[in-house]
Amino acid sequence: MRLAWAFFARDASIAMSYRIAFATQLFGNLLLVVILYYVSQTVGLEKLPALAEYGGNFMGFVLIGVALTDCVLVSLVGFALQVRESQTTGTLEATLISPVALPVILIYSSLWNYFMSAVRFLIYLGAGAALGRVDLRTVNGPAAVAIFILTVLCFLGIGILWAGIVLVVKRGEAVMGLLVSGMLAPVKLLPSWLRHVSEFIPLTAALEGMRLAVLKGSSVGELSPILVRLCVFAVFLLAVGIGGFNYAVKLGRQQGSLTQY
Amino acid sequence: MKIIEARDVFKGYSRRRLFGFRGKRSDIRPALNSVSFSVRKGETVGLLGPNGAGKTTLLKILSTLIEIDFGSVTVFGHDVTRDPLPVRKRLGLVTCDERSFYWRLSGRRNLAFFSTLYRVPAAAARERIDMLLDTVGLTEAADRPYHSYSSGMRQKLAIARGLLSGPDLVLYDEPTRSLDPLSAQNIRQWIVENRARLPHTTSLIATNQLHEAEQLCDRVIILNRGEIIADGSITEIRRRFEAKEHVAHRIQCRGFALAGHLSPSPRHGLVGIQEEPGEESGSTWLELRAVRDSEALSFVLDAILRSGGVVLQCQTRQVPLDEIFVSLVLAERRAVEGVEA
Repeated sequence: MRLAWAFFARDASIAMSYRIAFATQLFGNLLLVVILYYVSQTVGLEKLPALAEYGGNFMGFVLIGVALTDCVLVSLVGFALQVRESQTTGTLEATLISPVALPVILIYSSLWNYFMSAVRFLIYLGAGAALGRVDLRTVNGPAAVAIFILTVLCFLGIGILWAGIVLVVKRGEAVMGLLVSGMLAPVKLLPSWLRHVSEFIPLTAALEGMRLAVLKGSSVGELSPILVRLCVFAVFLLAVGIGGFNYAVKLGRQQGSLTQY
Repeated sequence: MKIIEARDVFKGYSRRRLFGFRGKRSDIRPALNSVSFSVRKGETVGLLGPNGAGKTTLLKILSTLIEIDFGSVTVFGHDVTRDPLPVRKRLGLVTCDERSFYWRLSGRRNLAFFSTLYRVPAAAARERIDMLLDTVGLTEAADRPYHSYSSGMRQKLAIARGLLSGPDLVLYDEPTRSLDPLSAQNIRQWIVENRARLPHTTSLIATNQLHEAEQLCDRVIILNRGEIIADGSITEIRRRFEAKEHVAHRIQCRGFALAGHLSPSPRHGLVGIQEEPGEESGSTWLELRAVRDSEALSFVLDAILRSGGVVLQCQTRQVPLDEIFVSLVLAERRAVEGVEA
């Protein structure tokens, strides 16, 4: 725990030392909610038939999409960014020679980002509720938390794998089909072939589950098929991610390129 | 007791290597080749060599950042490739890279973070950080952000970090590079004092500054083009060098001019002679390079006296390490070029 706290405190101190950037980031999140409010006004306040299974509320639907995608991006981009940043700032070498395993360093280095992602999630929901577009009374807390944790675990695997790739090739952008996962529009509106593609992206199941838990109040039992699917994704992706990352570290040690950028 | 043992180490880099697939063997440039040496407990060993000799590669192998291709390296009896964690627990690395700290955090918070990585218990860490900050003279600046530190202060903090876990082996990678002479001297002095305080700590110091090695090390290993070309105490290396090479004499005299009286004489073992004006008016310094145990000195003294000159003083100069280093590196380079030709 002390080790985890050391990483968290380090990143919190660094982030808050850039006061203006920190404040504008939070302000930007609030601004996004306001923009979405006006978009939802344009779309119409009446219940949308395409979103009927989530209660028909456009703003609630999109807010959950944005909030969960934010958390997914922390995994997808965050780990690789951590590696890249510590390579370029020169701190990677100093941490690598410590007796802490690199995957542990990587995961603990993202604790602050996950914390801030959870804070933003609450900001989105809170602001949505304040604007009368999300009914917090319907939220099923345990189901939402379970979906959130499983989503983090699924994308942890992909993020760690991507960080391993960045460790070796130094630069790259994660190419992911986030937009076909139903972030901004329901998957059922997509062409059938894209719907099949979206089945293989864990975010599709995660968004579906989170929307049902938050907007419809579905319980853990009702969401069990989605939770099981996410569990399978999480186990598979974590195994692939950690295996791939360890292989990348071994390659980096062989090539002597771990700290090059 | 051997703390480091390296046997027949080969490490090569290939520019055409991606995802574990090596290029042709001819594409592999050896960074280290047939490197074997050992370091005993409590020794302070200097790792010398020109740029690109393989010093940093060797330090990175010892600190488990790079894997070797062939041979074996053990530190504290653990193989650095197969069993790196026990090595890292007892190792401290002092790097000259200023960027290896978190610039927005204070010196103290940087050290606190790294002490947690080394699993130093919280209370012990606080005490040790205070003690180290005091030792390196950073107590007053401890709570200032790292980015406000001067180069010397950053280097001192790097030393404090290297010693944070109370390591049994400290690897110094050019500890005084880019420091002004006064700060460099302070750091060297501090290393000497620390060695007296902790005589069982083993140190390996990679440096390009030969006088630094002379001041700090019991023994030096000279690397060139990835191979060890000399390994021994400075006295031993000097003796070996002088046995094969020349000795240097300095003679201060008055009433004597070199021109027309003396020139190199292989018959007498006089390889070279140069003249410099002395500080006192009319006096001259003669710098001789002579074959060891030859009659060159008598030959020159005789020539001075015969021409009516007066010998004021005569010194046999100890060949500086710089000179030995340059001579060894050049000799090795000539040998390699001869083989290639």
